[in-house]
Amino acid sequence: MKVLARVALFTIIVVGLVAAPLWEPVAAQERVLKVAGVGAMSGVIRGFGINSKAVFDMVVDEINKAGGVRLADGTRAKIVGTFLDERCNAEEGISVVRKLASEDWLVLIGPTCSNVAEPLFGILQRKVGDAGDSGLQFPIFTDTAIKPGLAKISEWAFRNVPHEPTMYNHLFKWLKEKHPNLKTVYGGVETDFAHSNSNWFTSMKNAATAAGFEVLGEEKWLLNDTEFSTQVGKWRRAKPDIIAISSHPFTTCGVLREMKRQGVKPKVMAGLTSTATLETMAGCGPEAEGLIIPTGFAPVTPEAKRVADIVAKQYKGNVDLHSAAVYENMYVLKKVIETSGVEAKPTTLAQDRKRIRDGLAKVTEFDGLLGKIKRLDDRESVKPYVFAVAKNSDWAVLFDPR
Amino acid sequence: MEFYFALATLFGFRILLGLSAYVVILTGQISMAQAGFYALGAYTAGAATALWGWPIVPAVLLGAIVGAVFGFLVGFPALRVRGLFLVIATLAFTEIVRMVFLNLKYTIRVGDRTIGPAAAEGFRGITYYFENGWSSLQIAGFTWLFVLAVLLAFWLMDRSRAGVVLRAVGEDELAASSVGINLTAAKVSAMTLGGLVAGLAGALYAHYATYLSQEEFGVLLASFAVAYPLIGGTGSVLGPIAGVLFFSLLIDGLRFLGDWRNLLFGVLIVAMMNVRPHGIIDVRLVRRLAALLRPAPKRAYAGD
Repeated sequence: MKVLARVALFTIIVVGLVAAPLWEPVAAQERVLKVAGVGAMSGVIRGFGINSKAVFDMVVDEINKAGGVRLADGTRAKIVGTFLDERCNAEEGISVVRKLASEDWLVLIGPTCSNVAEPLFGILQRKVGDAGDSGLQFPIFTDTAIKPGLAKISEWAFRNVPHEPTMYNHLFKWLKEKHPNLKTVYGGVETDFAHSNSNWFTSMKNAATAAGFEVLGEEKWLLNDTEFSTQVGKWRRAKPDIIAISSHPFTTCGVLREMKRQGVKPKVMAGLTSTATLETMAGCGPEAEGLIIPTGFAPVTPEAKRVADIVAKQYKGNVDLHSAAVYENMYVLKKVIETSGVEAKPTTLAQDRKRIRDGLAKVTEFDGLLGKIKRLDDRESVKPYVFAVAKNSDWAVLFDPR
Repeated sequence: MEFYFALATLFGFRILLGLSAYVVILTGQISMAQAGFYALGAYTAGAATALWGWPIVPAVLLGAIVGAVFGFLVGFPALRVRGLFLVIATLAFTEIVRMVFLNLKYTIRVGDRTIGPAAAEGFRGITYYFENGWSSLQIAGFTWLFVLAVLLAFWLMDRSRAGVVLRAVGEDELAASSVGINLTAAKVSAMTLGGLVAGLAGALYAHYATYLSQEEFGVLLASFAVAYPLIGGTGSVLGPIAGVLFFSLLIDGLRFLGDWRNLLFGVLIVAMMNVRPHGIIDVRLVRRLAALLRPAPKRAYAGD
């Protein structure tokens, strides 16, 4: 019986651990708007989720302090937010989103990873109003997952992420104009991560060729790799004018350190959008000197500076091209909620989600932190961008095409 | 209820994955190949419904068969190695499978969508359930039909000569062979059966997730597959279920802790292995429970 008692005690402890976060005191009976966030808060690329959460918390507080959001009947509701970890894992992402969709959350912001966004969009209803499709009817407005073309998976999926093909086409064209003597490009790609892989093969490589560069090839590595001497050795022997690296901060820093060790100094280095973060500067600022990256965020407007300062000082996070979208998305959502008749009552949950979806689908333009953001028919954004360059272990604006 | 049905479905794949490792562990082998079989089942069944237009049942069965075939093929070379060497060999198999899917490109256009394995970009468009209007209850019910069938089969096997043979091989190979047990047949059968069940789990998972990416089928999944029966116990088929519940409740229950979750997760596993070194449901517990459930024998009194 002693063993049985132990098993019973253990079960009670586990159930208690699980139930604890679910327990909530009886809330005051004021109307609230429940908006959820999902991002990678643990794992190799947790930095993105942590930054998104910091901006999410900041913008929720800011909207609430300013009086909240006006509902259909004229009352004002406060936003109640939650931000959950998807660990950049599809199974966990689906589990979290199904949980949120089964509760009274109106809309979701996130996720971080494209390999989570794809299945999340896959479990949504593909076409609105299709009675034969049992997918979830839950609007998702993505801030970070950047792999091209994901929003077309479902009409409930919306994204506000930079359009990489446009940005890299412009970057390589600009490089050709600025440095007409440069002829060759050699790539480097983190092949086991959907975003970095697709970015090289569908954006960077094509853009370089279209701009008139000769692409010598690409070296490959994996997200968890820590040794890059072979790949960098090939760059050293090929002596390309430009090295274009499509990988996330962790391996980019490894590659840049190895380049320094082997004395590989191309005339120009270009990087992946997701690497234009302070995480890269913290990891390998000196080695990254001169790295050029097109980015959808830089503190170049008063509003961008203000948000970046508040998030850094009060919320211990960084605003970058991904987390900046959380701020933008929340303000678009506020506007959509105020204009689309959202009631925020327990009985109108399904209608409210549909109203938000329809409202988001109608948005053609909105104000972003760097300027006007255009919305496309496939529920994607065209965002303003700048070319950032690593300088003295910080990011500086090299060229501002706005 | 939607969420609970989805959770039940998720538990279903994990239990099947745990059972696939459980049957191999019974023969004293630790296989990290279950993640590879799971991936093979997932990609095959996904291709069957999304690319070839098969109905779900034959597609899922095809996924299971492909898992079994590869289980059989891995089983033979695995006979030549044991212990840590087997762990490394089977892990290498899982990595080979993952690398194949990292490079496999086989897509078709359906309307405005590109469907099929697109190398590192993953396999998009396995939407059979939703396109056919299946509710969460139906998906959970369909998954649990297979889970219950496998549980019943394993429970019966545990009580049959086959189960005794597998356990005998796991306890002491030399003693088992000295009483005439064919070690090759026992080990290869276990690996084949493990491959079948893992392939089945993968096939069901593919349709739940709608999207497959090779990175989901790596070392972590292989470790979880083995950890379910090891933590849950190999005393009975209920062991992997206990293991799945333990891990799943920790994963979801500790989510609010963020990055601290991984640390506490590890601590709890170490604590668990100290408290229950042979798993939550070990052989001793199974015997005690069986004794409790068995009707007490009639006592004989003087004069009876």
